[in-house]
Amino acid sequence: MPPTAQFAAKRLAKELQKITNDLPPGITLVQADNLDEWFLDIQVLDNNPLYQDQTYRLKFKFGSSYPIEPPEVTFVKLADRPIPIHPHIYSNGIICLDLLGQQGWSPVQNVESVCMSLQSMLTGNTKDERPPGDEEFVKANRLRPKDIDFYYHDNNV
Amino acid sequence: MSARAMQLKEEGNRHFQAGDYVSAEALYSKALIADPGNPTLYTNRAMARLKMNLWDSVISDCNECLKFAPDSMKAHYYLSQAHLALEAYEEALKHALTAYEMCVKNKDKSLTAVTSQALRCKKERWADQDKRRRRETSSLEFEVVAMMERERDEALNGEGLLDSERQEVREEWDRKMEIMRGVFEKSRAAHEQRRKVPDWAIDDISFGFMHDPVITKTGKSYERASMLEHLLRSNTDPLTREPLRIEDLRPNIDLKQACDEFLEENGWAVDW
Repeated sequence: MPPTAQFAAKRLAKELQKITNDLPPGITLVQADNLDEWFLDIQVLDNNPLYQDQTYRLKFKFGSSYPIEPPEVTFVKLADRPIPIHPHIYSNGIICLDLLGQQGWSPVQNVESVCMSLQSMLTGNTKDERPPGDEEFVKANRLRPKDIDFYYHDNNV
Repeated sequence: MSARAMQLKEEGNRHFQAGDYVSAEALYSKALIADPGNPTLYTNRAMARLKMNLWDSVISDCNECLKFAPDSMKAHYYLSQAHLALEAYEEALKHALTAYEMCVKNKDKSLTAVTSQALRCKKERWADQDKRRRRETSSLEFEVVAMMERERDEALNGEGLLDSERQEVREEWDRKMEIMRGVFEKSRAAHEQRRKVPDWAIDDISFGFMHDPVITKTGKSYERASMLEHLLRSNTDPLTREPLRIEDLRPNIDLKQACDEFLEENGWAVDW
């Protein structure tokens, strides 16, 4: 194992141990059978009508340079897990969030803090809409989320 | 290095990469005949011998290397590993810390690996002391119980005791022995009760126990090796994303001392 992969494996093992015992309300660990890919469920806890009574499934993919490099985080669509409506979330589950980009990421972020940021990104949203150009993007995009150069045009959304 | 030695060394490296440590070791030995006293050849052979668990030979190779190149970080790093395998904890830690200092000074990329080695030495030293402490305590308990039983039997064998008095003596000693066992039990439980690792000792980047915390101007401390990994990618403060360079980091001496003291008593915390 290259040294960075060992670094990642150690950190992930400890992170898993930490969140297995203790996660904030509205965040549930669904599956973390290996150290490459984890699934978590999140709920929006306030009464935002856009997200009330819904649960959303998140997929975390970690590279061998985690946490120096950001994980790839997307929403996953299942029968009982829709993709939340939000001007920064494409209908294929790809999330446009500064924190998850190459520039905005910091190694002190972690799975728990990312989930909490997504919760609050949903909590604060009032717009019942997808990002502009969602349909074309979803149809045309073949890039991995981390390779997409999002234009963070409006960080207040 | 002579062309011959160079060629043998490279051949050795190829075998090492392929996992054939025996051939690698033989080739480094041949290279050393062609170029006696070459420090790199000694550390290369030590590395192969580490893989072969030839601890004493690792130690002699590293010591030879240090005669010619006193600044060899690798020699100290391998010495630490060999001594640790031989359960010479103080020696192992000493060499790990020397290698660590060298890595910091030279901004060596092995800092992360050497950090783990230093922590491993501390952990195993603690585990050894802990084992010894337990063994001593349990053999002491055994002795004390035997002594009390002898005392009791002597008292019971006293002449002219009534059956009712005998019963009283027996009960009295049973009670004393129970209290004594309780005391030992309590002390064992206190040792076994593993405290939670305090958050202040955990590096927010590696999530590991801190060995050499450095502080940024935000007041937050991180493990030096983690910060180095991060700064290689991005020259920013992890919290504020303001510009940050390696030179801006300061050792957090008080926190380091607190971490060291905690580890002395709680070596398990290395693998929390």
